[in-house]
Amino acid sequence: MVEYHDLLRSFKDNCGFGLVANIKNKPSRKVLNDAVTALERMMHRGAVAADGKTGDGSGLLLSMPEEFLRKEALKNSIELPKQFAVASVFSTQKKELDTLEEVCANNDLKIVLLRDVPVDTNALGEQALASLPNITQVFIIPNSIMATERFDALLYLSRKETEHKLESNRNFYIASMSSKVLSYKGLVMPTHIKEFYKDLQDDTFKISFSLFHQRFSTNTLPEWRLAQPFRAVAHNGEINSVEGNRINVEIKSESIKSDVFTDEEIKRILPILQPKSSDSASADNFLEFLLVNGMDFFKAVRGVIPSAWQNAPHMDPELRAFYEYHSTVFEAWDGPAAFSVTDGRYIGCTLDRNGLRPSKYIITNDDMLLIASEYGVIDIDEENIKERGRLQSGEMLGLDLKYGKVLKNDDINNYLKASNPYMKWLNEHMIYLQEHIENQYKPSCEFNPEDIINRQRFFNITQETIEQVIEPMIKDGKEAVGSMGDDTPLAAFSNKQRSFTDFFKQKFAQVTNPPIDPIREKVVMSLNTGFGEVHNILGEIPTHAHRLKAISPIITSEKLEVLKSFGDKKSPRYQSFYNNKTFSTTYESDLKGSLESLANEVISAVKNDGVRIIILDDTDFSKEKFVMPMAMVIGRLNIALLKAGVRHLVSMIAVTGEVIDSHSAAVLIGYGASAIYPSLLFSSVIKLLEESNVIKIDCNDALKSVHTALNGGLMKIMSKMGIATIASYRNTGLFDVMGLSEEIVRECFETSNCALSGLSYDDIDARIKKNHEEAFDDSGFNKIFPLNIGGFYKFYHGAEHHDFGPKVIHAIHKCVDTGKKEDFEELKSLVNNRGLKFIRDFFDLKSDRKPISIDEVEPKEKIFKRFASAAMSLGSISPEAHETIAIAMNRIGGQSNSGEGGEDKDRFDTERNSKIKQVASGRFGVTPAYLRSAEEIQIKVAQGAKPGEGGQLPGHKVTALIGKLRHTVPGVTLISPPPHHDIYSIEDLAQLIFDMKQVNPNARVAVKLVSTMGVGTIAAGVAKAYADKIIISGGDGGTGAAPLTSIKFAGNPWELGLSEAHNALKANNLRGLVEVQTDGGLKTGLDVVKAALLGAESYAFGTGVLTIVGCKMLRICHVNKCSVGVATQDEKLREEFFKGHVDQVINYFTLLAEDVRSIMAELGFKTMEEMIGRSDILKVKDDEFAQKFDFSSVLHQEEGVNTHQQKFNPPFDDNNFEQDVLKEAMVAIQHPDHPIKIQREITNLHRSFGARISGEIAQYYGDEGLKSDTINIKLSGIAGQALGAFLINGVSIDLDGVANDYICKGMHGGKVIIRSKNEGEEFSAGGNTCLYGATGGKLYISGAVGERFAVRNSGALAVVEGTGDNACEYMTGGVVVILGRTGINFGAGMTGGVSFVYDEDHTFVENVNHELVEAVRIDTDEGDEARHYLKKLLKDYLVETGSQKAKDLLENFRVEVRNFWLIKPKNLTKLPLNVEKGD
Amino acid sequence: MREFLSIERIEPSKRLVVERVKDFGEIYEVFGKNDAVSQSDRCIQCGDPFCLNKCPLHNYIPQWLKAVSEKDLEFAFKLSNEPSPFPEVMGRVCPHDRLCEGDCTLNDGHGAITIGSVETHITEAGFKAGLEPEFPGVTTDKKVAIIGSGPAGLSAATYLLRSGIAVTMYERNDRAGGLLTYGIPNFKLDKKIVERRVELLKKAGMELVLDCEVGRDIDFEEIADKHDAMFISIGATKAKKASLNGENASNVYGAMEYLTAIQRKNFKTTYDKKFDFKDLDVVVIGGGDTAMDCLRTAKREGAKSVTCLYRRDEKNMPGSKKEYKNAMEEGVEFNFLTSPKQIILEDEKAIAVEAVKMTLGAKDDSGRQKVEEQKGSEHRVNADIVIMALGFDTEVPSFLAENGIEINKWGEIIVDEETHETSTSGIYAGGDCYRGADLVVTAAYDGREAARSIVKSLLK
Repeated sequence: MVEYHDLLRSFKDNCGFGLVANIKNKPSRKVLNDAVTALERMMHRGAVAADGKTGDGSGLLLSMPEEFLRKEALKNSIELPKQFAVASVFSTQKKELDTLEEVCANNDLKIVLLRDVPVDTNALGEQALASLPNITQVFIIPNSIMATERFDALLYLSRKETEHKLESNRNFYIASMSSKVLSYKGLVMPTHIKEFYKDLQDDTFKISFSLFHQRFSTNTLPEWRLAQPFRAVAHNGEINSVEGNRINVEIKSESIKSDVFTDEEIKRILPILQPKSSDSASADNFLEFLLVNGMDFFKAVRGVIPSAWQNAPHMDPELRAFYEYHSTVFEAWDGPAAFSVTDGRYIGCTLDRNGLRPSKYIITNDDMLLIASEYGVIDIDEENIKERGRLQSGEMLGLDLKYGKVLKNDDINNYLKASNPYMKWLNEHMIYLQEHIENQYKPSCEFNPEDIINRQRFFNITQETIEQVIEPMIKDGKEAVGSMGDDTPLAAFSNKQRSFTDFFKQKFAQVTNPPIDPIREKVVMSLNTGFGEVHNILGEIPTHAHRLKAISPIITSEKLEVLKSFGDKKSPRYQSFYNNKTFSTTYESDLKGSLESLANEVISAVKNDGVRIIILDDTDFSKEKFVMPMAMVIGRLNIALLKAGVRHLVSMIAVTGEVIDSHSAAVLIGYGASAIYPSLLFSSVIKLLEESNVIKIDCNDALKSVHTALNGGLMKIMSKMGIATIASYRNTGLFDVMGLSEEIVRECFETSNCALSGLSYDDIDARIKKNHEEAFDDSGFNKIFPLNIGGFYKFYHGAEHHDFGPKVIHAIHKCVDTGKKEDFEELKSLVNNRGLKFIRDFFDLKSDRKPISIDEVEPKEKIFKRFASAAMSLGSISPEAHETIAIAMNRIGGQSNSGEGGEDKDRFDTERNSKIKQVASGRFGVTPAYLRSAEEIQIKVAQGAKPGEGGQLPGHKVTALIGKLRHTVPGVTLISPPPHHDIYSIEDLAQLIFDMKQVNPNARVAVKLVSTMGVGTIAAGVAKAYADKIIISGGDGGTGAAPLTSIKFAGNPWELGLSEAHNALKANNLRGLVEVQTDGGLKTGLDVVKAALLGAESYAFGTGVLTIVGCKMLRICHVNKCSVGVATQDEKLREEFFKGHVDQVINYFTLLAEDVRSIMAELGFKTMEEMIGRSDILKVKDDEFAQKFDFSSVLHQEEGVNTHQQKFNPPFDDNNFEQDVLKEAMVAIQHPDHPIKIQREITNLHRSFGARISGEIAQYYGDEGLKSDTINIKLSGIAGQALGAFLINGVSIDLDGVANDYICKGMHGGKVIIRSKNEGEEFSAGGNTCLYGATGGKLYISGAVGERFAVRNSGALAVVEGTGDNACEYMTGGVVVILGRTGINFGAGMTGGVSFVYDEDHTFVENVNHELVEAVRIDTDEGDEARHYLKKLLKDYLVETGSQKAKDLLENFRVEVRNFWLIKPKNLTKLPLNVEKGD
Repeated sequence: MREFLSIERIEPSKRLVVERVKDFGEIYEVFGKNDAVSQSDRCIQCGDPFCLNKCPLHNYIPQWLKAVSEKDLEFAFKLSNEPSPFPEVMGRVCPHDRLCEGDCTLNDGHGAITIGSVETHITEAGFKAGLEPEFPGVTTDKKVAIIGSGPAGLSAATYLLRSGIAVTMYERNDRAGGLLTYGIPNFKLDKKIVERRVELLKKAGMELVLDCEVGRDIDFEEIADKHDAMFISIGATKAKKASLNGENASNVYGAMEYLTAIQRKNFKTTYDKKFDFKDLDVVVIGGGDTAMDCLRTAKREGAKSVTCLYRRDEKNMPGSKKEYKNAMEEGVEFNFLTSPKQIILEDEKAIAVEAVKMTLGAKDDSGRQKVEEQKGSEHRVNADIVIMALGFDTEVPSFLAENGIEINKWGEIIVDEETHETSTSGIYAGGDCYRGADLVVTAAYDGREAARSIVKSLLK
């Protein structure tokens, strides 16, 4: 649990990072200078304050500058012995150093010198200076004769002990303490680091390698200690599973035996992880611990960040065995990661399994290894380059400094798999449950007919659950889909029966880390689950492979029986380490006491009876016995077992009626369950099939489908947080707990955030007993139809409150038709008197001002400016509805939002134009003219209905119009990926914002986030990334289709997120830079006023606006049959039944604005501006129920301004480079008949080149742009990120050199040619995610490119000579030619366009994701057209690039044509080979 | 589901006019399986089921429409018979066009789902297939008396019996059913349908005491002593008067006496022959459903002419549109915007109604348009018979006051809205005697909810 004060000031960080080393380990000045230069050239990846000096921190972790240090020691008359170490210490008081000295002395170490590190404070910004610590180098030598290894061990031990002693002192920090590496880091800009640390200027300061790091923190409260690199690691990325990993480290710590330290010493070292550290720091702590304890360097790194092995069929089985063996004790620290590690002897760099961070390397002829986020950070002659490449997903690159050898991924893998007979160990010891089962789905119901009904009633399985949740799982093997968001109260506020897991809201990744696509990228996903003890992580012995394994944490009764048999002494399979015992989770007295005694009973069984598998079972439920919520039991035991020091010994399995969907399963796993047998769900399925006269599905198949659906749902929930494996997800507690008391959260769900602390054990106890009573006695008669009907998903009279219920819909329709105040009053009375349903309902308004006359209040026109319609794409809603809303919003002076999916260019510059243009992860219809037509560009990072998930527009909904607007082919399914593939981190977002501001300098850029705890941190980061506006969406929103569990269980109410974001921005002094908007079920003036008081300056309306134009909350948007013609593309429905009109919308907003005004008059505010952020006016209602909850965090008020103080939040980088080019190009833009040639040198600091010019052209010529080659720009050098972004017809860029990530993102026309002297597949010439969302144009690169090439390309033509993983993902159009190797997962989600791949060594087909595409040969008669087209392309490519490869291929085309594959979507019949003609 | 674009709304077929006016058989055919399935298939299954919300019983309409469309009759039968005591009756007599069907999402151009007809189909087909609502038998030692066997009483009996509570039902008439039997003509609701339900309840353990008026044939106290609780559902049967000159003439009748008499005739029991209107000119005053019933009954009885006088226009008629249409088809004449001033007598018998033409003005507070007389538009409408169908008031038996059961100024019994308990503990009431003349479905609701609280209080 995080304290609110800390939550507002917490941070996430991303960065630029890298390392430079002399392969032969030869120290020199050059290495240092290179490291500093590289850092300087990645400044744009960090955050910079206005003074240009205060940054979020940067640093260097260097090999020992031995010569320099000895010299410095000598100055103090100390001649250092051969063995010595130096600690770099930040402190404020002398006595802290004394503590260090004492500890060292105790550990047989001697401090010989305390050297004040000379610094130049002129290099610091104000903030950094204010917090500047004393920086001391502590010279340490052994006090007696000892081996080097022991010396290093004692250094570590001493450091840990000192840290523990001074734990409460946040100003004391040991940046490094080693005989091999030395840290120089701090709150200093890379450009000033050399100036600040005078040592670095000394000629004798020579090093052989350096890790370097430039930090981008989301907050503005950077600390010296937070700068990276840490002691062993420099990390770029974010560890999504860190909460789980931290607990798991604690669990593993229980059983550690070390060869390096005695047990007593280990005790002194523990805990391994420093509390209150960042994710990266925790990873560093853990890795360092492993390395110090002598664990093999490569095994340690791969144990912590394994490659994806579970579902990677192409992987070497022996390597898989290595990973599988290590998975018994290690789980991935999962999340986007580029990880540089060193122990002084080795340096390694590894990439996460999904390749979500850039990591590029260069090896030179003069023995330099450089790894960095970008190319071009050090100037290197092209001739000197021996190798230029990049790490692919899950790859590792190492350097053995002792032998001066670079170790490639294959070398490392070969070493790992051969180091022990892992395969043999696994064969001998590992048990796969599946092997012992004949039929996994036995169709027998466990409960008798009456009993099951009572259970269903108690566990809240209603008729609705069966219809809406269970049946779809049975029929489709997938989770059910719904529409129109969630309009029910939080479980805590509800007075109806709700499942306990409803109190938990799923967390999701936004901005600082990307979610994963669990369908298209399932190759990285795994639900592999093991049971058994966690062994000593430091030992590698055969018996560690003792594990029972299942492929999913959802098990069937048959699997459970097999599992039990291994712990059954009477069974021949018996093995003592699988001893199990079943504990009933029912109770008869009080909840809290029963929970307590269950915990004691379990601990005793583990300690005294050798129980290793704990089975928690609620089957005992009866009329007399209540059931403790399983999540509470699991959570509580998890913590209690850990406290008792025995958590590592056991696995917990839940046998429960509570799990009916993936969400409830995820909650149990998230708090520590290893597996779940959803007994009642499976029995309900069997019962349903037995009784149903309709569903004619074999019971076996039905159970399998449900199982598949649950597995799919679990993957979706994990992937939402960017976590790929269930092992990493377990224990993470990635939920916000809503409305449970702090006591419960602390005791059961400690790793989670506690929002609105409220209901106590007694309250929950009372609710359980009430439900229990009703289950057995439905306040009355015996029922003919015994189940409750439901009302959670859809409205049912008398059941759960729905805020868009029939009465409200009728009232809205009436008042917008008449425009009469009295009709609006009717709506108001329904909404404002609904009772305590939503957070805002708990507050009364108590102004400190006297009421004023309404005439004094600002006019409604001023208030209209604050209203916007929420993003709803043309596609999700009909063109008629879309335009009606746009016209109405324009007429009142508000804003409408295009949604994702483009907008007809005929609407630009008319009153039908949407002022807000959205940019979403699918990038559909995002062209230069589209962006240029916007007053505001909204980057949708997440949406309320399904934050962290992608979407899909099925082919049958892609009409000609939608296809045109989205620049795709009608009838082709369009997939929006879960993440923006150019936003994996905060610096990526900054880059996208920068792109947008180049294309359209006149538009404000807004970023849309969804409310969750921690959104404040994200908001602060977004403000620092130069967004002009931030939108905090409620988790309840959503007009399109989304999985039901996402609609219901992901995302928090807007009140929480808004207040947190508003206050976090204030705490970080960023509030004045950005506007804050909110949305989420706002209906009346009171809603708007409350949103204003909580800090929102503007307000968006989604569902509300739809109801105004006729929506009746049918919740069938996903089936294209909206009977009122709002959410459908069906022509008949649109033409005949859409009855919405502009006046309705205007009427509503007029009534609303007047309502706001009248409340303002009562409160005594003349303008909204003075009202915003005045949360002190909100008082919690004087009501017994209201007083149960703690709303202090919602009503909290930080110091500072409450509104934005500037219209634009200009980026640090003013892009003078391209402004200057634009000036030159302006002549041609003005006189397009006179083409112009421009020449420039470019560096990696010059980003988004081409976007500024293209935007300018689009302003005058629209997307048609200019005639080709009107503006021809010749560049040389290394281009920065996003070269050619949003390029338009008429602009050609010819680069002699290489470019970085995001080349030609959003390209619409024109061409980009990239060539360099080192050409071909072996040399990388471009980075990741090129052509993302491109709609046209041409890109030729005579080298290889990174991951996700041509992702979501819908029209560009490209030729390259090699790619990384996931090429052509989600492609919907265009042509891509790859003249070399690709990575894995080629063509995932590719629904349109074609690709040619040259496959010389016949390995390509293995790499194709065969779900949607097929690879065919072209050396056939049928392939004639394609073959000739390819040849034509190659010729053109050769002319433009001079590629040797192209030349060779053409010369031998008759032979080589056999090596080409054509990859096309399976259902594509006509090849779209004529790109110019719009194919 | 959601086939509303490819399948149009159809209504159940009606018997030909020439045929149907000849007898008192029901005019609507019950949907066959195919029609029921395809009509159900039109349902959107919307997120805000307006139908279910508008239905006073909150029937599980979308749920059983889905079941029907999936051809799961048994399931539909269970769903339909859970919240409703006699869905096959409600399917016939509810004003669906004002309730569920009126609020149906599709009723904005697509044509509402024919909810009522499907409802009738479900239980009719269910009964035919041998399905029956299950009753546990009398499993408790609790006994409840119900006074009045109309829809409220039958509904209460159903739910009490479902909970194993013994029920004694007292009815002053010779048959059970109240309004269902004697108020609604057979061509709208075949009496066999009512009888079938009554028989079901008797089979479930209900004791039915006929021809027994409380306060006349049996003392209220006597019943009270023998039972643990009581439910009063005595309806509202007193005809409203228009206070016209001449309305007390011997050939001016109240609607209910007429309908009852003809129903008795149809039962082939004794009835007053003065209600034979063959070849007479019949004028009915009023525009509600009861007026329609009288008009159509008179038509079937062979009246020479049948004329309805109503002071507002067609649009403002309170009755169901469907019934108006049926009456039109059957040859009833409608004089809209016509208000009676007095009944002209000759030999103390009515011979005509003097009426005046009205015009519609602005809407009043209740949203209805005000009417004003057109000067000089007085005219005569000849009549051999005048039937006053102006609505009903409650009768107020003396046992109410004697037992401390409070009533309001309109003579309606006052109950607690939650529990339906009257001011006297243990005595509950519902239906028209509590609401004033209202719908069958609201009476059924009252019966159900009263039963719910009786069960709660008795079985706790």
